[in-house]
Amino acid sequence: MRSKEKILLVDDDLDFLEMHKAVLASHGYDVLTARSGQEGLERVRAEMPDMIILDLMMEKHDAGFSFSQKIKTDPLFKSIPILMVTSVAEATGYRFSLPEDGYWMKTDDFLDKPVPPDVLIERVEKLLKDRKSST
Amino acid sequence: MNSQAHILVVDDEPGIREGCRRVLQEEGHAIDLAEDGKVGLQRVRERSYDLILVDLMMPDIGGLDLIKSIHSIDPEIIIVVITGYATIETAVEAIKRGAYDYLPKPFPPETLAALVKRGLEIRDLRLVAQKLFNEREQRLLELASEKSRIRTIIGCMADGILVTNLERQLVLWNASAVKMLKLRGTHESGQPLDHYIKNKALIETLEKLLSSEDANVSMISQEIQTDDPQAVLMAHMAPVRDEQGTLLGAVTVIRDVTKLKEIEKIKSQFVSMVAHELRSPLAAIEGWLDVVLSGEGGGDDRQRHEWLLRAKERARSLLALVNDLLEINKIEAGKVAQKMEAVDVAKVIAKTIEFLKPEADKKLITFKTKWPDPVPSVRADVQDMEKLFTNLISNAIKYNVDHGTITVTATADDHFVCVHIADTGIGISPADLPRIFDDFFRVENQKTSKISGTGLGLTIAKKVVDSHFGHLEVESQPEKGSTFTVSLPRHLMKT
Repeated sequence: MRSKEKILLVDDDLDFLEMHKAVLASHGYDVLTARSGQEGLERVRAEMPDMIILDLMMEKHDAGFSFSQKIKTDPLFKSIPILMVTSVAEATGYRFSLPEDGYWMKTDDFLDKPVPPDVLIERVEKLLKDRKSST
Repeated sequence: MNSQAHILVVDDEPGIREGCRRVLQEEGHAIDLAEDGKVGLQRVRERSYDLILVDLMMPDIGGLDLIKSIHSIDPEIIIVVITGYATIETAVEAIKRGAYDYLPKPFPPETLAALVKRGLEIRDLRLVAQKLFNEREQRLLELASEKSRIRTIIGCMADGILVTNLERQLVLWNASAVKMLKLRGTHESGQPLDHYIKNKALIETLEKLLSSEDANVSMISQEIQTDDPQAVLMAHMAPVRDEQGTLLGAVTVIRDVTKLKEIEKIKSQFVSMVAHELRSPLAAIEGWLDVVLSGEGGGDDRQRHEWLLRAKERARSLLALVNDLLEINKIEAGKVAQKMEAVDVAKVIAKTIEFLKPEADKKLITFKTKWPDPVPSVRADVQDMEKLFTNLISNAIKYNVDHGTITVTATADDHFVCVHIADTGIGISPADLPRIFDDFFRVENQKTSKISGTGLGLTIAKKVVDSHFGHLEVESQPEKGSTFTVSLPRHLMKT
C-alpha cells in the first residue's frame, strides 16, 4: 500500500463527498471531508492535507472562489494543490481553462462534475506527483 | 370632343337665322334657332350648347345682357357676336363682357364657318381645361383627407413614428415618438433633425440610411438608449422610395422594449437556474453509477447496493423537481382547469393530515387541530386545496424537530377563511424570510442539509393561493418554529 496522502474534499453535496471519498479511499488515500468553505478552512488548519478537491459552487455561490483564494494567498497553505470540480460549465455555457483563468482563479486544475473515477484518480496522482517534484 | 357640336343662333332677322343654319348644318353641326333673346335664354336653360351666335341688336333683350345671362348658366359656352350697323366699339364691349369674337354683317358663309370652327376649338380646350381643373381640385381634396387620416392613424399608434425627408428634416411624427425620444421643439415643422432629436446615435443611423447609395438596404434595426437608464428602445428605420426606386426619405418606427428585455432577463435567469438544479442531481446519479460500474470505489455487494440506492434517491428527487416545474408551468400558463366550488377546508386538511401521518410518525410529531364546526366553505378548487395543504403540512413535518407539534387552526370573518399552520421546528432567520417564496430558494444550513426538497414547494403554494385571490403569509422565529397563514375568500353564493 502506498503512503497515505491526505486529501480534503470540500463539497456541500453529500453524494459527491461520499462517492469521491469511496473512490479515493479504495486507492489508499486518507480522505477528510468538509461541507462548507468555513469547515474546509478549519480542516486545512487542523490537518494540513496534501491536496484539496473543491466544489466551486457551494451554498453561497462564491464560496469555492473565496476558499481557494484564502488557501492560495496563505504562505502556510499555498503549496497545497487544489483540484476544482464544478457543475458550472455546462449549466452556464462557460468553460474555464487553466492558461486563461488560472491566474485569477486560484486553482491547479479543473474538472466537470461528474468526474469519472479513473479520471479523478489520474488527476490526483498527477497533481501529487507535480507537487513532490517541485518541492 | 364630340364631332357634332350644338349651336344656337339668336337673331331677330329670319334671313340671318336661316342663312346661318344652312351654312353650319353643312359643316355637320346640330343647329337650334331663336328669334329673340328670351327664346334664346330659354333654349340655353333647356340644353347645353357649345357655341351661340348672338345678334347684338334685338328688340327684347340687348345682346350685352344676353351674353351675361348665358354665361351665368354656363361660363364655358363660346359666344360669337353678330353685329349689323353697330360700331366696332360695341363689339369690343361685347368681347370685354366675355364674347369670344364678333362677325360683322353682312358676312360670307366661309367666314362664318371658319369663325365657328375656331370657336369650337377653343370650346374644346376650355372643356379639357375645366376637366383637368376639377380633377385637380378633387385630388387635392382627397389628399387633404388622406393626410389627416394618416395623421390620425399614426397619432393613435403606441409605437413612435418619425418621417424624415432627404433634406434631413423631420416632416411627420406622432405623440408616442415625442414621449419616447423626448423630442424638442415640435411646434415647428420642417427643421433639421437635431433640432428635435437629442439622440446622436439615432441621427447618425438615419444619416447613414439617407446617404446610402445601396438600393438593397431595406431596414436598419438598432437599440437606442435614452436618458432613462432603465428604458430600452428599439428603432426600425426603413428608406422610403418612389416607383423608380429613388430615395425620398426614411421612416423610423420606435418601440419601447424595456418590458420585453426584463422578461428576457428573468427568463434566462430562470433557465440557467433550472439547468443548474437539474444538473446537480443528474451529475450525482451519474457519479454513483460510475463508481459502481468502474469498480474503482471498491467495496462489497452490500456497499454497492447502498450506492445504487443513493443514486435512486437522487433520481427520485429529480423526478419530484421536474413534476414541480411542470406544475408551475401549468399554473402560469393558466392551463389548470380550476373548478371553483364551495370547499370545506377542514375536510381537506383532515384528509391531508391523515395522508401525511406516516411521515409525521417517523419523527414522532403530533398534530393539534382546532376550528369552528362547521368552517364556512371557501370558493376554491378541491385539487388545488389538496396540493396547497399537502405542501404546507409536509413542510411543517420536514422542518420540525423530533417530538415536535403541528397546530392547525382555522378562523373566519365575513370575507375570508384563515388557516394557520404552526410548527415547532427550526424556524427561518429574518434574512431568509423574504426569499422563501422565490423559485428554488431553500434555506441552507447545517440543519436543513439533510432535508430533501426541490425549492419549489412554497413557490407552488403561493401561486395556488394567488390564483384563488387569497393571501399566503409567514411568521417565524428561529429555533421556535414557523406559522404559515393562508387566507382564502369565502364562498358567498348560496349553494
